Amino acid sequence: MMHVKFTIGLSLCLALFIGALHFSASEAMGASKQELIAAKVKSEPAGLDDAAWETSKGIVVPFEGKEAFAGKHTSVTVKTVYTDDGIFFLYQWKDANQSVTKEAWQYEKGNWIHQKGNEDRISMLFEIDRINNFATKGCAVVCHVPDGATNAREGKFGTSTDAEKGDLWHWKAARSDPAGFADDGWLTIISEKKGGRKSDKGEGGDKKNITDDKSKPKYMIAQGKSLDKNGILLASHAVEITDYSVFKDGDTITYCMPKNFTDSFGDIKAKSRYANGEWTVMLSRKLDTANPDDTAFNIKRKYNFAMALFDNSGDEDSYDSEVITLKFK
Amino acid sequence: MEPVNDMRVETRSQKIIELLSLGESRDRLLAFEVPKDALTWTRFCGSLLLVLLILLFFSGIFMAFYYSPVPGTAYDSVDFALFKIPFGSVVKGIHHYSWNLLLMVMGIHLGRSLILGSYKAPRQMVWVTGVIILFFVPLFIITGDLLPWDQTGYWSTQVRLSIISSVPFIGKSAARFLLGGSLTGVVALTRFYIFHILLLPGFLVLFLAMHFHFIRHRGLSEPLGTDPVFRPRIPFYPNLVNRWLFLFIIVSVVLAIISRHWTPPLGDPADPTDSSYIPKPEWWVLFLNQLVSVFKGGLAVLGSTLIPAGLAGLLIGLPFMDRSPYRHPAGRWKILLSAAILSGFIIGLSIMGYLEHFVLVKH
Repeated sequence: MMHVKFTIGLSLCLALFIGALHFSASEAMGASKQELIAAKVKSEPAGLDDAAWETSKGIVVPFEGKEAFAGKHTSVTVKTVYTDDGIFFLYQWKDANQSVTKEAWQYEKGNWIHQKGNEDRISMLFEIDRINNFATKGCAVVCHVPDGATNAREGKFGTSTDAEKGDLWHWKAARSDPAGFADDGWLTIISEKKGGRKSDKGEGGDKKNITDDKSKPKYMIAQGKSLDKNGILLASHAVEITDYSVFKDGDTITYCMPKNFTDSFGDIKAKSRYANGEWTVMLSRKLDTANPDDTAFNIKRKYNFAMALFDNSGDEDSYDSEVITLKFK
Repeated sequence: MEPVNDMRVETRSQKIIELLSLGESRDRLLAFEVPKDALTWTRFCGSLLLVLLILLFFSGIFMAFYYSPVPGTAYDSVDFALFKIPFGSVVKGIHHYSWNLLLMVMGIHLGRSLILGSYKAPRQMVWVTGVIILFFVPLFIITGDLLPWDQTGYWSTQVRLSIISSVPFIGKSAARFLLGGSLTGVVALTRFYIFHILLLPGFLVLFLAMHFHFIRHRGLSEPLGTDPVFRPRIPFYPNLVNRWLFLFIIVSVVLAIISRHWTPPLGDPADPTDSSYIPKPEWWVLFLNQLVSVFKGGLAVLGSTLIPAGLAGLLIGLPFMDRSPYRHPAGRWKILLSAAILSGFIIGLSIMGYLEHFVLVKH
């Protein structure tokens, strides 16, 4: 009888505790920060229209224009899911024009000129090692140095100390997406002469298609190869031009040729589509790449990140988001 | 062969006891008896509290191994212990959930003693020391909340310090003493840490010892309707001690499982320049918080000092105000009705606070 009473007592107390658990476990948060909840899926999304994306609630992230876009606003819908070893992000945003030119060469009346136009891009910054006040101020603490600083241009992006490190995911419509990747970089202290932005270990990025005298393109598509997505020439598909007389007015050639992505530089895989005035981009990576230049995601933890959107624009002209919290469900 | 081995073991343990001069203590322990009703489930809360306090001590020691009480590194050290150390989240979770459970069980323990009149003579000091121990828990929470140096802890501390500062005559000095200056920085963090791991545990152990001293000498209150003369007794060791050990294991396992599934919270790193952050009160402090927001201006002292101090005074002084010999609730309806009204008042304020901070909050 005594044992029964003891068991009843124990059960009552535990029931009371578990009932109150939710309330006591919830974090007393004050500031209204957006939260992106990563939903667990059994298998990785195969593409942009995979049913797995339905499991993610997603958020609409507001962006505020800076520099050339000052005073303008836009938004991006972001969803995220994860598997046992991978994390996947899906971004969708309206864009009236698909911009993938990135100063491509155009042959006109015997001359090679650069076409006007940049490219569309989206980037995310996570913390590898805590960046002071990034959780509350986001990219504002890493994106700007005082006006007039000697390293103002190179040093526009970086942290204040060696101990602070960021993980940069940078999708570029013309320079990384055709190769199926996003640039994987990292952020460290701004030095006296250079910014704090570094590329992860490995090969990637783009190769400039230009002759030594900078007057014309050096490479063209190799025989038997075809141009990649959006008519972009990949570096691996290029051969040196031996006869420039084959080109006629209006011909174009890629200026920034995406290279093969290898090692840690190629950790982030990309898929994309531009249709009906809207970009849909999917980025995926291992939760933990085991590379020191990447954020190792622990699903028990939450992460702060901020995003920037570039609409056919250079580094200074962007739409920036506030800092967002990523949590795993 | 078995008896021979047992004899050897016994002889060896006897030798150790003799070597340490513990023979007399052992004999006293073996001879010590407690009422059999000490094992009933209505006494369960007291045992559970003891188990939770032990768990809090052990998990706290583990966390202290990794903790760095400096604003620049405190957050990272907690983050490291929580997410990088194997089972770090389990240990931190046990600490986090234990104090939540401790507060709840203390409330039940207190309520039981109140309803059954256990505070009456000759056990007044058992009640008084118990209430003082209850008052220590918020002090532990207040000092512990700042230690991770996260937004929640930092800004909650600012709110609490402003409330402390509003206490007439001593408030500002008390806040300054806690901070070691005018700002919440490295000195404040060091002081809160010393309070949390050294001074408060020292005082708690002292009052626990006093609590047990009074229980030992004044005895456990008799169950209502029983004859105190014919109260069966059982050995303290092994009967009650084994029950405690069993409870310790059960509670540890349950809390470990809970912590494994619901990682204890760690907010964003503290940013003293982020004035947009508005902390939300934790469940146990909702009614106090609401008292402060109800009474404003010249009446603020009512909510921040007089009413809480009055409630605390009533609680401590209860055994000396209710001196009737009757313990049965039916004969003490005035006291119980008053307690129910006060409890309703506290619960009502808590609900108001919950609605204000968690339901009707404007984003």
